[in-house]
Amino acid sequence: MRKTTFPAVLATFVVCFLFWIVLDFSFKVEELVAGAVVSLAVALFSARFFIHEKAGWFFNPVKLFNLLFYWICIFPVELIKANVDMAKRCFTGCTNINPGIVKIPVDMKSDYGQAALANSITLTPGTMTLDIAEEDGQTYYYIHWIDVTATGKEAGDAIKGNLEKGLRRVWE
Amino acid sequence: MLIRIIADVLIFIGAIFATAGTIGVLKMPDTYSRMQASTCISTLGMLGAALGALLYAIFVMGSASTAIKVCVIALLIFVTNPVGAHAIVKGAYRHGIRPEKPMEVDDFRRDFDE
Repeated sequence: MRKTTFPAVLATFVVCFLFWIVLDFSFKVEELVAGAVVSLAVALFSARFFIHEKAGWFFNPVKLFNLLFYWICIFPVELIKANVDMAKRCFTGCTNINPGIVKIPVDMKSDYGQAALANSITLTPGTMTLDIAEEDGQTYYYIHWIDVTATGKEAGDAIKGNLEKGLRRVWE
Repeated sequence: MLIRIIADVLIFIGAIFATAGTIGVLKMPDTYSRMQASTCISTLGMLGAALGALLYAIFVMGSASTAIKVCVIALLIFVTNPVGAHAIVKGAYRHGIRPEKPMEVDDFRRDFDE
């Protein structure tokens, strides 16, 4: 079983406490203290499930800024492009589709990075991650794509393009 | 007043994308394409409605706690929605559901089929 380390507990505690403040939204001392106690208890029990790698990146302002930049500037642009494309297909009778499952290589080592990239791909309409596989040290995603125009590496560039570039600035 | 109009326009845009997603869910030919169309509803459809509600909460209601709760709802939908989508799609494929018209490219079947 994984060991509970101090940075992991600290990171989990900060997340839990921020969530408490957001949901409660009163700044009386008693409520803040109650929230801190509950968050600490939750962090002590669940930190080893919540943090799988070094927790240090959570307190690195450059990486947090890059993550925020990804969420505010890069991802919404891709999301709107894909949504407009999907809406066009739906309004014109759902006939001009060519679905298929392609396998694309991904250059991302970190577990968090892989999860974030897979979730971003699933959130974009038109592409959806089925599975992650690893062969000879190279990670592959299986992606259901509504309009297959390429396979292999070109398909990877068309699907993940900017998303992977943005995420690689946060996770290696 | 201007803020009211912008909020209404955002909610209307969200409704348009939700309509597109609904049409897709009803008319797409196979399971996986239907799942794809439904993503429209939970991303831009939800985002339009949430942004409209956010503007309304900040400038018309003037309530910071409502605004933050709208943000939390949007964030939670964005985090939890893809997890369910992965599970449903992979479960459907493993269960043996295939589209009527065979897919042109199917690397998953090539690598894992029994």
